[in-house]
Amino acid sequence: MADRLKLHVPGKPEYVGTIRLAAASVASFAGFDIEAIEDIKVAISEACTNIVCHSHDETDFAYDVILDLEDIKLTITVKDTGVGFGVDNYVEPIPGEVRGSGLGIFIIKALMDEVDIRSEIGTGTNISMTKYLQKRTA
Amino acid sequence: MALSINANNNTEAGAWEFKLVGEVDISNAHYFKNRLEAALAEKKQNILIDLADLNYIDSTGLGVIIGAYGTIKKDGFGIKVTGPKDNVKKLLGISGLDKILC
Repeated sequence: MADRLKLHVPGKPEYVGTIRLAAASVASFAGFDIEAIEDIKVAISEACTNIVCHSHDETDFAYDVILDLEDIKLTITVKDTGVGFGVDNYVEPIPGEVRGSGLGIFIIKALMDEVDIRSEIGTGTNISMTKYLQKRTA
Repeated sequence: MALSINANNNTEAGAWEFKLVGEVDISNAHYFKNRLEAALAEKKQNILIDLADLNYIDSTGLGVIIGAYGTIKKDGFGIKVTGPKDNVKKLLGISGLDKILC
């Protein structure tokens, strides 16, 4: 049986920290260790930051954050109905090469066990990311 | 999120010394950026950033450091960071910045 938390968040920078603390609280309650909690905090912040920075031309908007907690995993979905972006055009930074663009998504992929990013121009973006309590072995 | 920044021009070392205390994220990264840009507008030189009391940073904060690095690199200067906590060190490693800044 999964527990679900749904948050409807104003698209303002100051609320990203609030979401980060909420996710840390849920992850701690679920039994994640300190390193995993830090990973989750950064990953959810990056997803929210991506939306706050790039989602809308105007500032008066909101987006949704959903935390699904199951026995072995925490899945976080961050989604908006903003301008979207071309996922296929995303180019990962090359480690050692100093480039800030695309770093947020690169960090999310590095910290979480599973990441699924869907976005369409004009429709919005949906970032789903999962952390397992004990990383699965293939 | 709370962020405190102390900046000092160490003329003996020929470097700006910054100490970050608290957290850097999208809500305050512009403040960090403004402080760095103001220092570099006054004098372009090396930058030393003490991260020992920095509890959190994400791509917005790393982007500010990358931007400053890009500004001074062409003049032959660099940025060094010291004392990062494990969570910050992990992000420096993921981004590859540890090879340039540490």
